[in-house]
Amino acid sequence: MTVDFQQVQRQVKELGQNAQASLESRQHTREQAQQFLHACAEAYDLLHRKVEQATLYDPNLRCALPVNEPIDGSYRQPELPAQATILAADGSQIAPSRHEEVEYALINTGAIQMKLGSPEPPPISVESVLLYDEKLENLTDALLALARDLSERRLLADLAVGLPPPVITFTDGQMELWLGQAGDREEHGLFQESLLEYKSVLQKLCASQAAAAGYVDRPHARTVVRMLEVATLSEAEMPQVKSHKPFRTMRDLHLFRGLLRPGERSALFEIQSPSAKFYRDELALFFFYLNVGRQGRESLARVEVPRWVVDSPPMLDHLHAVLVQQCRVMGAHPYPYLLHRAHETAVVSLQEKEQVTQMIAHELLGRGIDVEGKSHKQQLKDQATRGKA
Amino acid sequence: MTAIEIGRLLRASTTGFVLGCRVMQLDKPFFGALVRVPQEHDYQIYGLVHDMRVEDDGLVRQLATVEFVDESTVADNRQNRTTPVEISVLAVGYQRHTSISHLLPPRPPLSLDLIYLCEPDELRGFTAEGRFGYFRHVLRAVDLPVSELLAAHLQQAQQAHAAAGNPGWIDAATQELITLLRDDYQTLMNVLAALSDVAKSR
Repeated sequence: MTVDFQQVQRQVKELGQNAQASLESRQHTREQAQQFLHACAEAYDLLHRKVEQATLYDPNLRCALPVNEPIDGSYRQPELPAQATILAADGSQIAPSRHEEVEYALINTGAIQMKLGSPEPPPISVESVLLYDEKLENLTDALLALARDLSERRLLADLAVGLPPPVITFTDGQMELWLGQAGDREEHGLFQESLLEYKSVLQKLCASQAAAAGYVDRPHARTVVRMLEVATLSEAEMPQVKSHKPFRTMRDLHLFRGLLRPGERSALFEIQSPSAKFYRDELALFFFYLNVGRQGRESLARVEVPRWVVDSPPMLDHLHAVLVQQCRVMGAHPYPYLLHRAHETAVVSLQEKEQVTQMIAHELLGRGIDVEGKSHKQQLKDQATRGKA
Repeated sequence: MTAIEIGRLLRASTTGFVLGCRVMQLDKPFFGALVRVPQEHDYQIYGLVHDMRVEDDGLVRQLATVEFVDESTVADNRQNRTTPVEISVLAVGYQRHTSISHLLPPRPPLSLDLIYLCEPDELRGFTAEGRFGYFRHVLRAVDLPVSELLAAHLQQAQQAHAAAGNPGWIDAATQELITLLRDDYQTLMNVLAALSDVAKSR
């Protein structure tokens, strides 16, 4: 059975009819939110106080906190350092499946290291870790993703040791480890273990005087918007903070639209979230928005950084300049070149997955251990896919 | 003397084969070069390089549109990424033990066989054998730039023979081509024009 395009067509028409009105409404909300952003630009104490009050009524509040820069400010692209080492890592994973011939998981992490301005080809590192037997017990998709994120940052920390500064490291996605909403007690226990190791890896990067960052392309966050929403409440209205969302259609991306010229970053913000307590002192997490696009083609990314980067203006400037340079390498699709290359290095193709599966099956069969084979469901799916190819 | 390896075999047929190499290996082979593919049992296949193709992919196309690409990015793409260079070779003969034949090889080389550039003495050995029988493989390949291929090959072979005190080899080769192409005026004119360009550049 295929998609019923007649049904879809009717719905597409409705979508189109609503689009203009919804665009106009969003535009109006954006203007209001931007006016409020300018009005609160230097109201650091007020914003801190409001957020503090709000957390009493919504302990899970996730929003931004101003630092010491006007929150509607923009900061020009600094000069690139004369020399620097740039390290990027990315990971991919094979999740275990009971429908496959053998059950295993694999985390593949790739890193690439480039010396700014050097004619040498950048060295590439790959780490492939197979998980099997008891390591698969309680391994959920969320925990596997967590292990992958940890592996990316661990590889960067290992590679950064002993490199002469400045060293700039980044991965794709946010810096905060994230388990999601779901998860039982056991999962949370394993999350805590991962978090401890993650923090020790971050401390290792800090000790190496390496800048660390998480790069989020087309960010979906609304942390600054949420801070503004909270700030519109009076003390008496604060108990309604959970449901108070006057800018509900807005993302931070919309808020900063038109405020940053190509290469410019926004003000720095601290992350207020329930997990902020896990990241203290030099590991406290901050972020800024960065326009990596060109004149007339704005493209905003969110960059998350730990406090040791924020506390070092040269380190922050180097990171800012390097990220813009890396995105410019990619022309019309601004995204850090090295992150793309790290992804290319780490990604596990279907063919490679099949190869790993066969390697395990051969090993087991060679030792006289029976391999169950694919489930009936998987075999039928594969046949259907082959039939369409 | 160290053999110059230029790549590994990707696919083959009786009349020719294609090898893949990394961009950084591309400074070794050249258009018209004689190459050899050693096989088991003291047997090797000879061929002439007639095409070199640099493949692209999405990232290379993206980078090509950018105003400035730094050296490190270029080096990364040339040396680390798997965008292969394909070199097409026309089979022109083979060697079994010490005997060279200008007939097509009895069987093609196999996947991932190593391919080497022929040294001047090997080029002399292959081209001095018999009566230029391998020319007919080139002349039959109508889809190839025949005159340019012959000119490039003859220039290289002539230099190898002249260096070994046999400057007359090129005259004998040209005479043989005139004989083979006596009924194909257009091709003969193209070949002679290309050879005249070779003579001018000497």
